[in-house]
Amino acid sequence: MNIFMKLFKKRETLLAFFIAVSVVVIASFSDNFLSYDNITNILKSFTVTGIFSIGVLLVIISGGMDVSFTAIAQVTQYIVVYVLLNFLTGNIYIAFVLAIASGIVMGLLNGILIYHYKMPAIIITIATQNMFYGIMYVITRGKLLYEVPSFFWEFADAKIFAVINQNGAFTGLSVVTVLWFVMALIFAIILRYTILGRSVYLIGCSQTAAERVGVNIRNTILFIYGVAGAIAAVGSIVHVSIVQTVIPNSIVGQEMQVIAAVVLGGASISGGKGSVLGTVLGVLLFAILSNSLTLLRISSYWYNVFIGSIIIGSVTINALREIRQRKHIVRVNVAE
Amino acid sequence: MEDFITVENISKNFSGLKALRDISFSIKKGEALGLCGANGSGKSTLIKILAGVLSADSGKIKIEGAEMVSYGPLGGIMRGISVIYQDISLFPTLTVLENICVARAIGQGRILSILGSERARAEAILGDLGVSINIDSIVEELPIASQQLVAIARALNNDSKLIILDEPTTALTSKEVGLLFKIVNKLKNSGISVIFISHKIDEIVELCDRVLILRDGGLIAAKPIKDTNLEEIETLMVGQSLVYSKMDDVDREAPVVLEVNSLTKKNNFKDIGFSLRHGEVLGVIGLLGSGRTELALALFGINAADSGKIAVDGTECRVRTVNDAVSAGIAYVPEDRLTEGLVMNYPIRENIVLATLDKFKDKFTFLKRRSMSEAAQKWLRTLSIKTDSPDNIVSSLSGGNQQKVVLAKWLERNPKILILDSPTVGIDIAAKAGIFAILKTMIAENGMGIILISDEIKEITAYSHRAIIMRNGRVAKILPKDEINEERIRAILNEQKQTK
Amino acid sequence: MPKMSGFARFLRRVRAGQQFSLIITLVLVFIFMSVANGRKFVSFYNMAAMAYQLPVIGLLAIGMMISELSGGINLSIIANANLNGIVIYLVLDLLTGGKMAEASLPFIAAAVIAGFLTSVVVGLFNGLMITKLNIPAILVTLGSMTLLQGVNLVLTKGYTISGFPARLIFIGNGSVAGVPAPIILFAIVIVITNFILNRSSFGLKLYMAGANPRASKFSSVDVTRTIILEYILSACFASLTSLVMIGQMNSVKANYAESYLLVAVLASFLGGVNPNGGFGKLSGMVLAVVILQLISTGLNLMRLDPFMITAMWGAIIIIILVVRETAAFIINKINQQKAV
Repeated sequence: MNIFMKLFKKRETLLAFFIAVSVVVIASFSDNFLSYDNITNILKSFTVTGIFSIGVLLVIISGGMDVSFTAIAQVTQYIVVYVLLNFLTGNIYIAFVLAIASGIVMGLLNGILIYHYKMPAIIITIATQNMFYGIMYVITRGKLLYEVPSFFWEFADAKIFAVINQNGAFTGLSVVTVLWFVMALIFAIILRYTILGRSVYLIGCSQTAAERVGVNIRNTILFIYGVAGAIAAVGSIVHVSIVQTVIPNSIVGQEMQVIAAVVLGGASISGGKGSVLGTVLGVLLFAILSNSLTLLRISSYWYNVFIGSIIIGSVTINALREIRQRKHIVRVNVAE
Repeated sequence: MEDFITVENISKNFSGLKALRDISFSIKKGEALGLCGANGSGKSTLIKILAGVLSADSGKIKIEGAEMVSYGPLGGIMRGISVIYQDISLFPTLTVLENICVARAIGQGRILSILGSERARAEAILGDLGVSINIDSIVEELPIASQQLVAIARALNNDSKLIILDEPTTALTSKEVGLLFKIVNKLKNSGISVIFISHKIDEIVELCDRVLILRDGGLIAAKPIKDTNLEEIETLMVGQSLVYSKMDDVDREAPVVLEVNSLTKKNNFKDIGFSLRHGEVLGVIGLLGSGRTELALALFGINAADSGKIAVDGTECRVRTVNDAVSAGIAYVPEDRLTEGLVMNYPIRENIVLATLDKFKDKFTFLKRRSMSEAAQKWLRTLSIKTDSPDNIVSSLSGGNQQKVVLAKWLERNPKILILDSPTVGIDIAAKAGIFAILKTMIAENGMGIILISDEIKEITAYSHRAIIMRNGRVAKILPKDEINEERIRAILNEQKQTK
Repeated sequence: MPKMSGFARFLRRVRAGQQFSLIITLVLVFIFMSVANGRKFVSFYNMAAMAYQLPVIGLLAIGMMISELSGGINLSIIANANLNGIVIYLVLDLLTGGKMAEASLPFIAAAVIAGFLTSVVVGLFNGLMITKLNIPAILVTLGSMTLLQGVNLVLTKGYTISGFPARLIFIGNGSVAGVPAPIILFAIVIVITNFILNRSSFGLKLYMAGANPRASKFSSVDVTRTIILEYILSACFASLTSLVMIGQMNSVKANYAESYLLVAVLASFLGGVNPNGGFGKLSGMVLAVVILQLISTGLNLMRLDPFMITAMWGAIIIIILVVRETAAFIINKINQQKAV
């Protein structure tokens, strides 16, 4: 009983429950939903969001905020593809290495500004978002890069567990989705089992308290924002591999959706709380519900209504739970 | 016994202000040292320097004979110095186990944080402390007292040789204080030094071997406890001794201004009943966790009661919000001036008029700046608040003058009942007397009833006409004037300590 | 102290004033832009153009600032403004049976009031969620922003809707005796807002509750009510912005002016509003908005890429941070030396 209650109190269990219910409901309306094809497609189309959400999770656990990651991804994508088209003949690994380097540089700039000027991270990252994005647009004049090197789409097309579907085409779990899950696993381990990962939680609870137990605040903040930049960069390479074109405004604007998924996954904006598993489940719930809009032929105009309602709904549930908890605090052991 | 730490000629300035001047002392292994001083005397700066969070401008620190200049918080922990700060400084969303182990893991420069192997060690420490806390529970779900114990367990897990306890008893009930004292004695016996900071001097006298007294950043005295006493320490802290003046006698026929009947709030207090006459000072005393502050907050509408009756001047009132209480004529001077009493970065004028804004509206409902200033000026004069203009920021005033601003805010409303929660904490002696002089005049002028909540028994004995002693959320006893004396009150409180 | 001349005393008073550095910045930006653009910049035509553009960003920025006074933020303000415009369209369309260009004055009034009420409801919703459920403002307004963006899209199906009656468009692009109507509206709004923030008891309560909500509550300020009213007031600015925008764009759309969200946050930052609440002057905001408008117009005249301007907004925040920090550091050093 006790274990059951504890499990039920966990955000992850609640999300898994919701996912299960949605799957059952949607599957009863649409035969196509549970097909192998559809499932792998849903996963692939939400892989970029899934990767971005890991970086945002890291930042939110530390009590910070990052809305610049889309701009970092956008800029990185352009630089990497441009370099690989004009200066280097490379492969997907070189693309990732270049991207990660570029992402870390921009992420570190965020980290330095946030640590040094002690301003709310949202203001700093709004500023850097516009700076990164604006400068890129000015330099590139918004030109699209249509012809990306072929190894990008080969990467996104690679599948494992492939079978031949009824149309005679290969279908299977995309390698990019595998990359997402592997990254999730790595960061779950880092956050759970390393001192550095735990320091992210410590800072999120209270910077003063963290400093008092000897956490190096500066290095940890630089780590958080540097890694968040790198994750955004990895996401951008996956994005261009799937889309096969560099469109300079195709990523910026997705910030809120990613943040929403992380919040839905149980991370607390005030810091110190959140898990990779919860975030992955949050993204999955998003993916399933958005796919159901398509399957049920609901206009895509409803998509934002839907995300907004989910954000408001999930924060309301959190808030109500906290209010209930507070009511039960024993201030005085009253004698009977 | 040899010295664990020796401090020589430490000084520290903050933007030109001297926070510490030329402090020297040492602590022996296994010694409990009390640290006393009024607010702003430099206690917290000294702690932070010892912990390595701040570094001194000049002077030397020797730890076990080795000379240090500055060592940083991690260095402090590594060398065996742990501080349990007043705000506890735990990580509320993490488990007890992790809170206990994390500092040590960081200190050892480990890369992985696998707690399995440390579970037994942490459990053993909690066991040694004689407490039963589920090691896997989340800290924010524990009561404050248990959190404090977790902080102590963390310090022990760091292999501390010096544990600094900064006001550890403020949030503890008497039973828990007793447990804490036992633990401290245990620590001393195993050779760990303790610095104990408390504004309750009787606790220092009870627990410590030696006492250091700080005033205005300087070390005034360092005495073995057996060569001094409570009164002397108090006098040394403030530089002069306090004279308690008596209140005027209350008119026994005066009408009842406040009548409280079977007031109850779950998990806060139960079945509270008393009455207060015009012009009467009703003392309320009780240990922490007795429900006295909760009761006051209920009367003021912050923490409304579940059931029971409150009647002001014979009319029953519903007190669900602060506005209800204030319109009924109840005012409350909170214990914590900085966070509850004043808006610190705003001018004195705005703070004084905040509770009476309706009075200053013109016919277009705009605020009349001039009459606001005049009202503030009037109170600056009446209460002799030392400042040159009501435009000055409240935080620029001394503690005593700040408290007078809080009083002015309520006196401007001319309340029927004024509740004062520990009104003289952190205020120097001269200002203390001043505040009671003001109350005396105000009682004489408009006959308000006063409820005085205080930890200082002397304040209660000197000023109250009747005294309520609270225990476990209930009224344990109401003492009439002639029975209010220190011995009697101490006896009742001690009896409570033992029965718990 | 030696005797000072009248002018020196005047200088001292100005320097002691809170907005001194903003005034200096304003003058410097003006001089720089005038030099860089020559006659074009100081021309009457250009000034009038600025007077038309400034109110939109000005109204949004003040709405944003109001939400920041309690330490919150109103991310939903622009989505709310767009919704306000769309509701006006929907009501006009309904009342006139599809010929809204010919709407009579009472119909226009009814539509504007309906739009205004919608905005008030949005503000009320934000305020209730923030106070009653104790949810951080950034989350609540992030949610309502996304929700409203969606509602706007659903209501307009992504189309740009034009053909508003001339009398409604007048607010955004008309002029009275040569003075642009929107700047007149903006001036009136500033005067009223000044009374609300600086002269009314609500204003004082708002500032005090922002600086220390607990102490304010203990001083019988109804903090919950104050913050709900604050968000309603902030939403009123969305409503006003919408009226001006309808005139300037001659249309409504689901996602007009979304890039202004940053500019509104930037303006409040430049205007010295403390994002943690309690401090921020209307006068500073007005100066900040004028400075930003001068920069934006000046850069436009220099034929800079519009995205360069976007990049500039970001860079300005960081430049301000660096300048403020350095100035504070130097002042601190000087004070320390004086003390020694």
